[in-house]
Amino acid sequence: MNCEICHLKELEVEVFQVREVLRCILHTILFHRALGLVRPKDVDSEHFEITYVQCGDAELEKKIEEKVDHFCSWVEKHPNKKGQVLLSFYEVKNKQASWFTNKVERLYWEQWHVNLHVLQPSGAHGKPHGGAKPARDPGGGGREESGSRRGSLEASLREVLFQIIRFVNEKKDHIPIPNPDCVSSFPYEITIPSHSDSSFGVEIFKRMLQTGHPTMLS
Amino acid sequence: MAGAESGRTEQIISNFFLKLLQVVLDSRVPHLLAGSRAGGDKSRKRDRWFNLALGDPPAALENLGLWHRSVADPMVVDVLLLRDATDSESVLERWTVHYEPSSSSSSSSHPSTPSSPFRAATAFSSSSAEAAAAFYKRTYKKCVVLLRSVYAVLRLLPAYKAFRMLSAATLNNLHPHHHNQNQNCNFNLSYRVSSFAEPFTRAEEDEMKHYDFAAVETQFGQITVSVVYRHDLSEFNLESSSLFPPRIITDYVCSPAAAGPSRAFPSSLPSNEGFVQPASSPARGILRFGSGHMSRPHSWTSTPMAHHPLSGSQLSASELHASPMGVFGQRIVGGHQQLGSSRKGSTSFNEYPLSPPFSPSPSPSPPTHSGNLHRRLQSETAPVTIPLPVTGSIPVYSRAPNLSDPTRSSLPPPSPRVARADNSSEDSPEIRSFRRVEGFKLSEISPSLPSSLQKGIRDARDDSGRFSGVLSSCGGSPRVGFSRSSSKLSFQDDLDDSCPFAVDDVDVPDTQRRATDGKAASENQLASSSVSSWTSQEAAVGMLVHMLKTAPPLRQDQSYSSRAAGPGHDREGGGGSGGGASSFYAARRAADALEELRSYKEIKDMLLSRSGSHLPGPSRER
Repeated sequence: MNCEICHLKELEVEVFQVREVLRCILHTILFHRALGLVRPKDVDSEHFEITYVQCGDAELEKKIEEKVDHFCSWVEKHPNKKGQVLLSFYEVKNKQASWFTNKVERLYWEQWHVNLHVLQPSGAHGKPHGGAKPARDPGGGGREESGSRRGSLEASLREVLFQIIRFVNEKKDHIPIPNPDCVSSFPYEITIPSHSDSSFGVEIFKRMLQTGHPTMLS
Repeated sequence: MAGAESGRTEQIISNFFLKLLQVVLDSRVPHLLAGSRAGGDKSRKRDRWFNLALGDPPAALENLGLWHRSVADPMVVDVLLLRDATDSESVLERWTVHYEPSSSSSSSSHPSTPSSPFRAATAFSSSSAEAAAAFYKRTYKKCVVLLRSVYAVLRLLPAYKAFRMLSAATLNNLHPHHHNQNQNCNFNLSYRVSSFAEPFTRAEEDEMKHYDFAAVETQFGQITVSVVYRHDLSEFNLESSSLFPPRIITDYVCSPAAAGPSRAFPSSLPSNEGFVQPASSPARGILRFGSGHMSRPHSWTSTPMAHHPLSGSQLSASELHASPMGVFGQRIVGGHQQLGSSRKGSTSFNEYPLSPPFSPSPSPSPPTHSGNLHRRLQSETAPVTIPLPVTGSIPVYSRAPNLSDPTRSSLPPPSPRVARADNSSEDSPEIRSFRRVEGFKLSEISPSLPSSLQKGIRDARDDSGRFSGVLSSCGGSPRVGFSRSSSKLSFQDDLDDSCPFAVDDVDVPDTQRRATDGKAASENQLASSSVSSWTSQEAAVGMLVHMLKTAPPLRQDQSYSSRAAGPGHDREGGGGSGGGASSFYAARRAADALEELRSYKEIKDMLLSRSGSHLPGPSRER
């Protein structure tokens, strides 16, 4: 089975917007991939005039919040850097217990690359915080600029959401049979860049080797 | 077997149509959410279809399900925008769901997809139950994903904002007891379901965008969903104003009344005595939007009519004066239009609850104690004053017919201090003249009164006159309560020369003229000068509160009065110092009332100046 990969459009976000943008994107993806019985919950974004949909599953929300917090922590330690959050759906294949490893083989059938370029606010004082509001720009011109940036980000985020919707609609055949017992239907994992930034790419490479990505074979 | 599979496929398709219709209507038509719901086990089972639990479907949907005779007929759902102003409807969105059965010849000509070989195989070996079941499950899974996408897209399209505005207004209208601000929308959303829709005009097509969802292939065809939507709704000027239902409040009271029914605005307001004021506001009640359940503190704020739809940029004092009823009538018309609308699928605005009007006060309020007064003034903002475009001079206010007000008969007896100060004169004539605020001449005062008393009476008259003018603009029994003590207070104030609250820009000449010494006079002057620098009502209220909080104890008034009395006022001072507790408390009450009177006056002046009506300094009738 092929692993469909979707690289979402990169978004330039400010530190205080990271949390909300990630929530919006991850919940939208999971709403389309958590094919169990859901009672959808409409959530108004805090910083944008966007309403996204959550599955209404507490466990799923909790897991997403944890990953969002981890990413925000990473952002604090790596200011003004591009970060990528990887959302992967996999199937658990036969457990192979060998002499050297007892790991469970995961067969990834879909990966979502959420690309964020976290910008530091201009004239920021002190250490940036993931959930903190940005430092106020002096003067009205700064506010206008931040307002235009916010509007641009909102439009870009809306594009990303439509990109997600388009992808999930066009790519349906690779979806395995859902597990009717849980809301999420499919096991998934959210990978946050590790604090040792250099190892993030290595981890992605390892995962690609494990899944036997078609691009690796071509 | 093929028949069974076709039956299951048809079941998926028909339920998909109903589910999608429910998703669209639940996200676009608020009154369906508020209406009755079809319950029962059947509805609950249907709700679980496609693993998307939306709750019981609207009762109207049950009838719509009967409309769809054949799965081969497309279902076109138009989301309509109904505008109250133009009484027109526009199509905001058109959702088209269609099941296109595929012929056996077309199935083999489809481009190869990961599923097509399976489907082709199914077509050739339809008797393979397992393959058919797998195909059925795959179709069902894709329908689940498709519905999720439709659900998400419905929240990203521009019409969703209109839905939210309208649903908020609908919910507030259905639950008026929540004390939330009611909302009025100048539009409504409706729907139309049909199997065929008129094509859009060229102009409409230019304003529309198209979004096609990926088709879901079934064993015998494919399900397609598409939407045509208006991407820009700004031309419709959709508004949802957080307004209270337009009501005429005939009994508006601006003073911080205690809990209970609002006090009546006296009908005998000076409309014919040169008291220039907007005909609407005091006489007929201020134009106020509110529900009967609104708590009293909302009736007046530091910024009068802050939430008033006609306040601020929309309505100025001059407009209020010019044609308040005209404006209000227009608003009423708009409200009636909404109330009377009965369009298809429109929200039942007839359910909009009309709160009962405020009941007039049965009797004037008793005089308030200083403590209560201070608490009221501290806890509540300044009374709402009606921006009165007074064209005349302050004497216009002085001609406020407080005298003609029958409630004045309930004024308390004169202060014993006044009586003591006027040992050689009868109480009633002097007090009557003391209270008179219209055409008060110095010559009317008994010549036997000491000069200080005469001066105090003069000042008191002015103060009470001004104060009466202020209160008459606000109306209500507290006016009586204040006015009847204001006279005593001003007189007392003059004698005591100690009122810390005697801050009045109009009183600047008075304070300058007064034989002042010490702290009280300087405080008054400082307060007066500071008053002139006030530029906002909020500042005036804040200063008033500050004054109340920092006011020295009233007992100091006695000491001040002793000092201010001096040799020239031995009679008064002696009388005052020899007064008992009862006279002291009476003086306190009067002093407080006068202080409040002056404060209200100051606030009124601030508002008038702010509203553009520059009041000249009150000319004193000496």
